[in-house]
Amino acid sequence: MDTWKEFEANELTHSAAHHLLAIHEVGAAYGGWARVSDIARRLNITRGSVSINLRTLKKRGWVETDERRLVKLSPKGLRVVHSVMAKRVIVKTFLCDVLGIPESQADIDSCKIEHLISHSTGQRLVQFLQFLTSGAPLNQQLLKRFRAFHVGCPESRTCDVCKGEGRCLFDELKHAI
Amino acid sequence: MRSSKRTRGADRRDVVDDLNRLMAEETEACLRYFQIRFRLRGKDYAAAEQFFEEAIKETMEHANAIAQQIRSLGEIPILRINLSLGGDPMRLEAALAEALDVEQQALDAYKDLLPRVTGDPALQEFIRRQVEVETEHVQGIREFMHAKATVKLVAKSKSGP
Repeated sequence: MDTWKEFEANELTHSAAHHLLAIHEVGAAYGGWARVSDIARRLNITRGSVSINLRTLKKRGWVETDERRLVKLSPKGLRVVHSVMAKRVIVKTFLCDVLGIPESQADIDSCKIEHLISHSTGQRLVQFLQFLTSGAPLNQQLLKRFRAFHVGCPESRTCDVCKGEGRCLFDELKHAI
Repeated sequence: MRSSKRTRGADRRDVVDDLNRLMAEETEACLRYFQIRFRLRGKDYAAAEQFFEEAIKETMEHANAIAQQIRSLGEIPILRINLSLGGDPMRLEAALAEALDVEQQALDAYKDLLPRVTGDPALQEFIRRQVEVETEHVQGIREFMHAKATVKLVAKSKSGP
């Protein structure tokens, strides 16, 4: 399957991830149980939308409901939430601590990516972060040098990153909308 | 006396926020019903066409009535909906189940608001009436679903050995 199609076929959609996180956050003070009205307010959507979206989450076995229409994460749903939250922290840490992205932007970007990256990529990112921040002088130096590094496009308009595309990828992003 | 004096300050602001949310529930429901009709096929479409036509009309009437209430409180209605409707063809049972979800949530929302408007007899009466109407809708959909299920069971037993 093409990767872009994989993005759409992702079992955990962006919307589903946010619903699960909202249930987790809203329910935290009530033994895990959340009201549809509170989930709707948290997500800034209607109760009707939440209720219909919950059907899919229920089918996947991520949430449970009771006779009063209260909602709770199932053990499986809680595991999904924990993995999404972990990936969000990992990506945000990478963006802030390594790439030096401002926290507000890192929050937005990590939110967009958190549910899309695979567990193995997330784990490798943790290892990479550990490696860079391990305190070993060489690693510290590497990070320091990276932060001081400024991209420069050679005359040929090709480098090891652009790989002879004939255009500077850095510039392409600079002029993106 | 203008209605805007009926409720005051933070309470009024909260009530208007809730009315805006209710208006969004009704408008969104209307759009859902509008789109659901086109996901039904053949017999399912014929069986539910009138139901959804009426639901579209009623939900829009409700949204309009709520907007009038907001206006009478001296505010301009704010409509915030975030909706993208697509999907595959749908069976009638699934369409009715969605309708039931939507109506049940609207009923719950009206019920939640009712005790908070006791100081405003006109608004209280309006919400009370909406609770009655939505209760009837929920009941109506349940009965429709039950009737469809019964027809199916009868048809199955007739075609059986």
